[in-house]
Amino acid sequence: MQAVLSLKKYLKPYMPFAIIAPLMMVLEVAMDLVQPTIMQHIIDNGIAKKDTPYVMQMFGLMILCAVIGLIGGAGCSIYASKTAINFAADIRQDLYETITYFSNSNKDHFTLGKLITNITSDVEMLQRALTMLLKIFVRGPFTFIGAILIVFLTARELFPILLVVVPILALSIIFFTKLSGNLFLKVQEAVDAVNTKVQENLAGIRVIKAYNRKSHQIQQFTTVNETLMKRNIQADQIIGILMPLTAFVVNMGIIAALWLGAIKVENSTIEVGVILAFINYLMMIMGGLMSSSAVLMQIARAVPSANRIAAVLGEQSEIISAEHPVTTPIKGSVEFDRVSFAYNKNNEPVLKNISFKAEPGETIGIIGMTGSGKSSIVKLIPRMFDADQGSIKIDGRPIKDYDLQTLRGAIGFTPQKATLFSRTIEENVKYGNEEASLEELIEALECSCALEFVEKLELREQYMVTQGATNLSGGQKQRLAMARAFIRKPAILILDDTTSAVDSISEKRIQQAIEENFEDSTKFIVSSKISSIRHADKILVLDDGVVVGQGTHKELLENNKPYQEIVSTQLVRGGTLNE
Amino acid sequence: MNKPQGRPAGPPPIGRHPGPRFNGPAEKAKDQKATLKRIWSYLKNQRVGIMSSIFFVVVSTLLSLLGPLLIGRIIDDYILRFNIEGAIRMILVLAGIYIVSAIFTWLQTFMMIRVSQKTIRELRQQLFEKFQSLPIAIYDKRQQGDLMSRMTNDIENLNAALSQSIIQIVSTVLSVVGTGIAMFYLNWVLAVVTLLVIPIIIWSTKQIIKRSSKNFSQRQRDLGNLNGFIEETISNSHITTLFGKEEQTVAQFKEANEKLRASALKADITSGFLGPINNFINNLGIGLVIGVGALLVIVNFGVSVGVIASFVTYTRQFFRPINQLSNLFNTFQSAIAGAERVFEILDEQNESADVPEAITKNRYEGDVEFRNVEFAYQPNKPVLRKLSFRAKAGETIAFVGPTGSGKTTIIQLLNRFYDAASGEILIDGQDIKRYKMANLRNHIGVVLQDTYLFSGSVRENIRYGKLDATDEEVERAAETAYAHNFIKYLPQGYDTMLVSGGMNLSQGQRQLIAIARAILEDPDILILDEATSSVDTMTEVHIQKGLNNLMQGRTSFVIAHRLKTIENADQILVIKDGAILEQGNHDGLMEQKGLYASLQHQLQVQQ
Repeated sequence: MQAVLSLKKYLKPYMPFAIIAPLMMVLEVAMDLVQPTIMQHIIDNGIAKKDTPYVMQMFGLMILCAVIGLIGGAGCSIYASKTAINFAADIRQDLYETITYFSNSNKDHFTLGKLITNITSDVEMLQRALTMLLKIFVRGPFTFIGAILIVFLTARELFPILLVVVPILALSIIFFTKLSGNLFLKVQEAVDAVNTKVQENLAGIRVIKAYNRKSHQIQQFTTVNETLMKRNIQADQIIGILMPLTAFVVNMGIIAALWLGAIKVENSTIEVGVILAFINYLMMIMGGLMSSSAVLMQIARAVPSANRIAAVLGEQSEIISAEHPVTTPIKGSVEFDRVSFAYNKNNEPVLKNISFKAEPGETIGIIGMTGSGKSSIVKLIPRMFDADQGSIKIDGRPIKDYDLQTLRGAIGFTPQKATLFSRTIEENVKYGNEEASLEELIEALECSCALEFVEKLELREQYMVTQGATNLSGGQKQRLAMARAFIRKPAILILDDTTSAVDSISEKRIQQAIEENFEDSTKFIVSSKISSIRHADKILVLDDGVVVGQGTHKELLENNKPYQEIVSTQLVRGGTLNE
Repeated sequence: MNKPQGRPAGPPPIGRHPGPRFNGPAEKAKDQKATLKRIWSYLKNQRVGIMSSIFFVVVSTLLSLLGPLLIGRIIDDYILRFNIEGAIRMILVLAGIYIVSAIFTWLQTFMMIRVSQKTIRELRQQLFEKFQSLPIAIYDKRQQGDLMSRMTNDIENLNAALSQSIIQIVSTVLSVVGTGIAMFYLNWVLAVVTLLVIPIIIWSTKQIIKRSSKNFSQRQRDLGNLNGFIEETISNSHITTLFGKEEQTVAQFKEANEKLRASALKADITSGFLGPINNFINNLGIGLVIGVGALLVIVNFGVSVGVIASFVTYTRQFFRPINQLSNLFNTFQSAIAGAERVFEILDEQNESADVPEAITKNRYEGDVEFRNVEFAYQPNKPVLRKLSFRAKAGETIAFVGPTGSGKTTIIQLLNRFYDAASGEILIDGQDIKRYKMANLRNHIGVVLQDTYLFSGSVRENIRYGKLDATDEEVERAAETAYAHNFIKYLPQGYDTMLVSGGMNLSQGQRQLIAIARAILEDPDILILDEATSSVDTMTEVHIQKGLNNLMQGRTSFVIAHRLKTIENADQILVIKDGAILEQGNHDGLMEQKGLYASLQHQLQVQQ
């Protein structure tokens, strides 16, 4: 609940709206409530005394009430929408901003999928709940209480009926609401089971067909499908009792009113109009109860959404610029001094005691088996993560002293997975440097061997990349991702296994182009292929998070066992197959 | 797979916004009549259920019409005449009517839910079985999400319509007509006055819907754009961080967010008028009935206090369903459109059926021959051209060639994911179409480039290769595939649960499990399509040993982009543009000094 309250500040700018909306609703409800009383007066005073002017007067009053009610209702609707939509839009903006500035470990903590759900459906949920709260939640209870009050004041003879009917109604609504919560939870589980099965079968259809497991899959599906049907029937049938039951209880209230009313009318304690008014109020009471319970459920469902949103908004990014950040341009010398790092602080570190030094203009190759920690090393340089122990220095200063913009602005990083945005090729590459000229763009494309395929496209650099870059091949994506880093002309260039889908001839050309164009930059090349790193000035051989060898290709070939092993599996014809 | 579950629990789907009492324009079916007929053919089996529930709804609706009439009568004939005993007698009759009406209303729901849920279950089952029988080509053509949404959203729409809308439409029409008749029966002047309100309702609703559907589609577009932007930029947010583009991205978001704010305000405010206006018309109608009624009583025009009472209740009963009717038709229309999309899939062609007297074999020798095989995924874009080669039983055949040359296609023809357009494929001297498809696939083991694991334990996933394998057999297969080494370090070893797709393992680990699965299947013919592409070279060497054991004595087809892994093959086929460019063993091909030799040469140069 505290989390929900922390979102209150987003409501503040719209507070006047948020107050006006329920007030307008009160107006509408009040007009609705007055109507049966006017009717009662028309019947008991107007008709009984055949007083035409009085009837006309009252009739006019009724129409006036309807109009006032309309104004109230429309006003409430307008202001409720204004409040809720603005509130949601502001939260969405703040959420997005918070998430964008999150560090990697913040994102890992929440997971990207959940963050996306958060900003899309959770916000939507909250907006809907707020609209409901301002509109219907005022309407329901107010109608309910108002109607009871009026009956108490004007039809006290029939009031005892309410003492019986209202508790029964309230109890049965509460009972069924609770029950339906449980039943639908079970239905939801069954729905999820069916969806998972279907989704897996669609994604794995080739495996299923290759192994000829059709009947096995159908058998599994039949079970979950059957469960879903049974739970659906059970839930719907039990919930289906509520409507006829409440209608029945109200109808019994009407019967009681007629019965009791008939006796009282005979005794002349009340007039017949009172009975009619009472019946109308009874209907209103039921309506008010039903809608309040429906809204209450909706609001209750929004509470977890609000909690999730508050949790994200309350999270501090773990990686921020220092208080008095250094903004001097970076030349590119990088030094790791006994650096250790773990993604999960409870687990064994992925990097242990890593030390090395790279001077501007040097090429550093990093090689090792899958999971040896190669990528983790380079991820520490732009502070995607912060090291747990040891220090990383750039140009002799700890990287934490630098302004993040200065630090990252000096780095051209190509991650392992070539991710592009759904924009044109030009926009994608210029993402690395928006001020780049057309010549620089072509130069970057050329350097990454991307120009050869871009030129063949109908729209060249204006070719639209689809979401997930499904209209490009893996090699093409990698080339564009490299071009995006190249166009920055960075002091530090990092290529994290970026040529796995590029053919060997192009890779060779890219290597040459990097040597020529980035003579002064510090270059880090991560790869599991010897051919990608053998020309490096310094090669780090990584095994299980530890540097087990450091030197040039030649040196390592002579004296480093792990390196020799990797070389032998990759270079010797037939590998060790023949041993 | 965002939001298929359309049940009341769980959050509602993104993008589908509940306008207050208004759901935006409904999607229309192309051929409503044919689709309706077909839905009916499903309902036929439940005829008794439907008939009885229609019977119940008719009776309960009629009874609910009787209520107000009787109340009027009780007031006029008994209470106003101080006939207490008569009044009580009539009140008891009314109570009886209410009881029966409540029971029938529940019975009708009870029956209809059974009908609709059973029908939906049948449809879901049929669709699932259809998914299993569709040829792979359909999966190339249609997106997974599209098929998924037919199973979830479309069927759910139909469910909503079947379990509620049909009955509601029947009861609404019946009660509107019935109320109309009852009103005219009571007093025609008052009836005309009440009915005068209807054109106002229809006109104003139309006006609002006309305006809001325009605003709603704008809002939907803006919401779609925004959600797309969120999805993409948050999934790729590491790029934003790396390139320091936070400010620009937030600014772009703001632009889209402000657009949505404006269009959402417009849409919600227009549609928000619907509720208050309906309420107003209701009150106006009741006001008219009471006012005009009272005047009619005074001038003695056959109207009594009881008649006014009946009219007030009828008016309340009358307007509500009319207000809801347009919504109901919307639900109904999207249900038909949904059903049509489901039927569209059910009408797709199945995988080719077995020929009569198809052959089944306990063991295939593995003598495979391609004779002039041609194949194209799309007309006029041939992928394989007159391809011929022969693999003798027990041989290892490797395919080498650039991406898109047709290597994967060749092996997909072998297990009949696709059928050749012309030419023949023979196994053990028989055309593969003469074998029972299930039997053939049971004896061909495949490890695909991009393998798929199911949710379940590691053990279950390996056992998929042989459903009745013992735990020892599973572990032995894992050891051969060199998967045992990492499995034993998983939190629960072989019982570690995998999520759908096996996404909690690395690509390389998934490939190892897929290899273990194929090893366990113990097939007569083995196909390895880039089976070790994501495994690092050290591990690959180890698996290769296991695979070598496995390949011994069975015909194997191997595609690999690391040339060194295939150098020992009996035959290497160099494929380019769907045809065989070179053919022979490693030494022979090196001597030919063709494409293969130059590929190898490039590798040497690099090293």
